[in-house]
Amino acid sequence: MTVTAVNSSARWAAARPWLGTAARLGLAAVWLIAGGAKVGDLAASGRAVNAYQVMPYDLATVIGAALPFVELALGLLLLVGLASRLAAAVSAALLVVFIAGIASAWARGLAIDCGCFGSGGQLAAGRAPSYLPEILRDLGFLVLAGFLLSWPRTPFSVDGWLAGEPAVEDEDE
Amino acid sequence: MSSRKDQKAANRVVREQIAREQRRKRALWAGVAAVVVLVIAGLIGWSVLRSQQSDTFTAPPGVNDAGNGIVLGTGKVTIDLYEDYLCPACRQFQQTSGATIDQLVSEGKAKVIFHPVAFLNRFSTTQYSTRSSAAAGCAAKGGKFKEFTDQLFARQPAEGSAGLSDDELIDIGAGVGLNRDDFGSCVRAGTYKPWTERVTDDAGRAGVTGTPTILVDGKPVQDRSPDGIKAAVEAAGK
Repeated sequence: MTVTAVNSSARWAAARPWLGTAARLGLAAVWLIAGGAKVGDLAASGRAVNAYQVMPYDLATVIGAALPFVELALGLLLLVGLASRLAAAVSAALLVVFIAGIASAWARGLAIDCGCFGSGGQLAAGRAPSYLPEILRDLGFLVLAGFLLSWPRTPFSVDGWLAGEPAVEDEDE
Repeated sequence: MSSRKDQKAANRVVREQIAREQRRKRALWAGVAAVVVLVIAGLIGWSVLRSQQSDTFTAPPGVNDAGNGIVLGTGKVTIDLYEDYLCPACRQFQQTSGATIDQLVSEGKAKVIFHPVAFLNRFSTTQYSTRSSAAAGCAAKGGKFKEFTDQLFARQPAEGSAGLSDDELIDIGAGVGLNRDDFGSCVRAGTYKPWTERVTDDAGRAGVTGTPTILVDGKPVQDRSPDGIKAAVEAAGK
């Protein structure tokens, strides 16, 4: 009993930092892909935001233009591991907003594409929206952000280098 | 115990405290740097958008008062058509209901305001939506907007392709009776690209989020079949 408990907690302690690195890089990839898909057509990104019908058109175009660049910046921060906890917190906040937006579009009966990875806007007639998969996917990303928020110190990060200590032994800092 | 040992322990505590303080400071600055990066990224997006928007545009002849659509016919009821030349659903709509709309226009029951929006630039490698819409502006200048539009839907390229080249657009224009030189130089110069941008922007402002969108006297029409269009026009004309 005790031996297995010690074993598994030791294994967890050994694996956790690496899981953290995987979560960090995974989330970085999500943001880089999402931002990269939208950055080429900022006007379309604005229309995708506007399709949610939650803010005035002019505001939607500004948000739509800023969002891809913020996503790319978040992706880069996570990729190099600078201010991981803050980047994870911003990621989580953005994802919560996205999930709320999709859920509200669903609740209001809008037929739109979430525009999460480019495209977006109203769907062609006869095409059904896929809100549930979109929300589940974002919840998955939220789990990654939550993991990183709880244990932000990961190997191969600028944070670890700045702290000048091995990543493995830190607890809450 | 010996005071030397105490001294050593105290020194270590102080050193550790200083180190911890330094780490805290570095983490704080890292956080500040990250926030600055994110804010600057957002501002870059905003300023890129601003730089892409042109303030002035020239509308081709034959536009409505707002300058964001080509008017066809003089009927009492207004049919607004928001279509992208690359949109397959628009082509399908034109094939099934185009003749009905033509008939409503020729009978004098309705007029069409055609808004050639560029929503789908991401789905071609050459900004075909903008190029084709701007070319349609050139066709309007030559008085052949309708003919050119019908040809563009008939020869619609696939999504994800390069679309029709400028040369092909010019050939199509010449084929419907436009002056090859005038039309060609207008297409090549992109004379009406700022107009296309305005048409597209106004469509978004008007709440149009997809193509095709059909409004009859300002009301969205869900049933895009010939009968649906006819019924909506008749109801609006009463």
